[in-house]
Amino acid sequence: MARKTYNIAMVSDFFFPQPGGVESHIYQLSSKLIDRGHKVIIITHAHDDRKGVRYLNNGLKVYHVPFLVIYRQATFPTVFSFFPILRNICIRERIEIVHGHGSLSSLCHEGILHARTMGLRTVFTDHSLFGFADAASILTNKLLKFILSDVDHSICVSHTCKENTVLRASLDPLMVSVIPNAVVGENFRPRDYPAPSEQGGGFRAEPSPRLLGPDDMITIVVISRLFYNKGTDLLTAAIPRILENHPNTRFIIAGSGPKAIDLEQMIETNVLQDRVEMLGPIRHEDVRDVMTRGHIYLHPSLTEAFGTVIVEAASCGLYVVCTQVGGIPEVLPSHMTTFAKPEEDDIVAATGKAITAMRAGKIRTEKFHDEVKKMYSWSNVAMRTERVYDGICGTISEEEFYGFDTSGYNNGSRIRDFALIDRLKRYYGCGIWAGKLFCLCVVVDYLFFLFLEWWFPRENIDICPDWPRKPPAKDKAQDSMKIAMSRSTSSVRGPKLDR
Amino acid sequence: MPSPTDDETPFPRLSHAASLNSLDRSHLSPHDAFMYPLRQPFDGDGAADPLSHLRHLKDDRSRSRRRKRAWRKLMWVKQSYPDNYTDQATFLENLQRNPRLKPYDFWPLVADSTVILQHVCSVILFIVCFVGIFQERVSPVSLVSGSSFATFLGWILWERWVSEEQDKEDDPAAGGPAASATKTESIRRRARAASIRRPMTAPRAIPVSSSRSTSETSSSRPSAGSSTVNIKVQIPENEQLRVTSLASTSSTTSPTSPTSPLSPRTAPQHGADGQPMLRRANSDVMPDFALPSETNRLHQRLGTIKSAILIYCTLLGLSPILKSLTQSTSSDSIWAMSLWLLAINIFFFDYSGGVGAKFPASLSTNAALMASTVLASRLPSTKQVFCLTLFSIEVFGLFPVFRRYVQHRSFRQHVILTVLLILGAGWGVGVVIAEPKPVCWPWKRGIGGMAVAVMIAAIATGGCSWWLIGLQRYKNEIRGPWDPARPIIMSRPRWDDR
Repeated sequence: MARKTYNIAMVSDFFFPQPGGVESHIYQLSSKLIDRGHKVIIITHAHDDRKGVRYLNNGLKVYHVPFLVIYRQATFPTVFSFFPILRNICIRERIEIVHGHGSLSSLCHEGILHARTMGLRTVFTDHSLFGFADAASILTNKLLKFILSDVDHSICVSHTCKENTVLRASLDPLMVSVIPNAVVGENFRPRDYPAPSEQGGGFRAEPSPRLLGPDDMITIVVISRLFYNKGTDLLTAAIPRILENHPNTRFIIAGSGPKAIDLEQMIETNVLQDRVEMLGPIRHEDVRDVMTRGHIYLHPSLTEAFGTVIVEAASCGLYVVCTQVGGIPEVLPSHMTTFAKPEEDDIVAATGKAITAMRAGKIRTEKFHDEVKKMYSWSNVAMRTERVYDGICGTISEEEFYGFDTSGYNNGSRIRDFALIDRLKRYYGCGIWAGKLFCLCVVVDYLFFLFLEWWFPRENIDICPDWPRKPPAKDKAQDSMKIAMSRSTSSVRGPKLDR
Repeated sequence: MPSPTDDETPFPRLSHAASLNSLDRSHLSPHDAFMYPLRQPFDGDGAADPLSHLRHLKDDRSRSRRRKRAWRKLMWVKQSYPDNYTDQATFLENLQRNPRLKPYDFWPLVADSTVILQHVCSVILFIVCFVGIFQERVSPVSLVSGSSFATFLGWILWERWVSEEQDKEDDPAAGGPAASATKTESIRRRARAASIRRPMTAPRAIPVSSSRSTSETSSSRPSAGSSTVNIKVQIPENEQLRVTSLASTSSTTSPTSPTSPLSPRTAPQHGADGQPMLRRANSDVMPDFALPSETNRLHQRLGTIKSAILIYCTLLGLSPILKSLTQSTSSDSIWAMSLWLLAINIFFFDYSGGVGAKFPASLSTNAALMASTVLASRLPSTKQVFCLTLFSIEVFGLFPVFRRYVQHRSFRQHVILTVLLILGAGWGVGVVIAEPKPVCWPWKRGIGGMAVAVMIAAIATGGCSWWLIGLQRYKNEIRGPWDPARPIIMSRPRWDDR
């Protein structure tokens, strides 16, 4: 059976040239989806030096829509102003599925709302965790509930993230899938790992373990933005104690942020200038080079939805010491990590244990890279995302996708239909006041849609010619191309990254 | 261990049994999390135990999933379940609701709310006094001399209490452990800095260190490992030195030159009432720290009296300016403005501040002083302006400090003070509302005001406490693994503990 392919629009405020996890997620996922024969375009807001339409590798088309950026690259939330241009793009590109990313991106929310009005399928990917206590979270959660009450399916990056999203938006848990992030294994090779081109297809010898003598220097790497919620306070408190307990250890800290001054003061106070090296902000391409200088990666974060960086560290052959928060415990197997509670004493103890184990040669870090490559790959992510698309478009039956449990929230089908009255019913349940407000928004949106249909008729919008599609390959054929592809993709990951 | 790459394996289907079981809506949904009744004593009817529902679910599950490998809440492992599978055993298992809920009790709540009552009453008293001066029914001089005398009495009392407390703390058995713990910690950290540094920089001269840390380095010379032990042994003698000058809690005690640029001692010191205490001069002049505490206190008192006289004179000089400050503004605006400012004062006042709070709620105090300034500018004569401003400083600046100390010392005195304030405020309002008749002292109205005030106070504190307890039923705080963790940090960095 020939697999069905889709025209997909990824909508998010967060895309290149700015750095970050969501950005590279969108790029890698789109690229792999194109490899699987789909057509993918990306809609984001314009930057100073990037406006209009751009092409990236692999025939990936990016629309930079002019919008006012207000805070941390998120656009100003005007509920309706995005509609005309989105409609134009969707008709021009013959989009079937709108896939929004990031719960703080108002472009994504608007895109999903208007796409539903236009009768398109929608998917939302949540990348972050939110609490329930403070005012900002309450507002964001209400907004998320508005958008997600009518979305076809949601994707979360970890099981903790799924629980969080389900609670925040009162979703049916079966309508939320968990699809993790991944890493480009070739970009995060250990230090003396042969480059993929030399490797050839043939047999490669088992890498020999790196043995450390009792007096060899052990380097602990920290790469993180130096913010409160990344646990920099814990780091500041723990470093002097770790260095005191373990001679022949040193730290390399990369990243910048408001807490950098505390670290510098700690170094000055304890006179650790020659045992702690602060690199400042580094570019994402350099992350691997910094990581391979070390033996242990320390990640003291206080909240984390997935923690791609610890996967990257393990892929580089580092033993990972991390705090047990958010989605982190789900990410790596226990032989690659030591978990600590987010307490100073526990981090010191866990790092001490890790150092002892490294010196004893108990940890076979040289195997980590191959293991991580098997656990996380973008092609796997793309394949699982494709199944979500199949499920919402009815390519695979509802029973297969959701199981036989039809006693969900809406007393019946989980396939969301487009009838206005059914949509209004879903929105009305959002809250006493909010429900009515949301209904009003949706009705206005629908009227706006009718107006646009009359003002800019569909027939007058040109259809954009597609790139020649890649054959919807039978999965396995991709593997040989994969390496070349991901190497070419690495060249566009240019922006400066200070994590 | 990770299974081989799963790009090609077909997607598993949702288990029939698992999904059929949940046809009777036994599905664990987020609404279950929200809809559990609170299991609090005031909930009364002891609503159905939510756990029985869960237990029932668990039984279903163990039967339905015997065939498959168990689902695990991990992402690196290849699951034999689809991506949108929701495991009912583990889904939302870490959800906590109202984890730190402390149910209130009625009487303690009422007792705590008296603090607010006291403050509101003192603000009312201030307004009453202003109206009295404004309508020229009260002589401003008698008012201010009375209140100044009361302030003086209060100060003497406060002084006695503080010194009593200090004597108690100076008792080495009582005051030792807590203080020395922090001390030990900071010394230990310094020793650690020294010991870390030594292998690296021993041959070099140490560029940034103060003389103190070098002396300690040399004192703990024997080995890096035992340095903390050595320091701990030294503590008793340090401690003895320290005890003699406990009033200056933050000044360090090692006998080194205090002129080092890094020394925390060079920061000016402030006493509990926020005035410079001349202590730095003391410690500079007398490095042996054998300063008798009596002399120290005398210095403190002299300093306080000096600053009191300073404020008095400044006010005297400023009064003519204050008098004409808002002449061009209409009285209505002034009344409205002072109402707002006093409301700000009440709402932003630091009711929770303990005895040690140094500059409590600067917004609140500033608002009150501004209110008194604009009110004073309505008064016709310089004398009145001066008296009102001085009175406001006493009421808003010093009286809260005294009240805090009373509350800290004994609950009985606190209650007596509260009752006096309520009665005073009620009496004042009753008198002021009356027409200014030069007949006689309006006893009747005063007593009526008192009765009304007591009633209002009782209704307000009781009613509000009862209401707050009733509102607890709606409390629904959700916590889970997605919340940012609270880091527990043992040793604050050294730049914090000066």
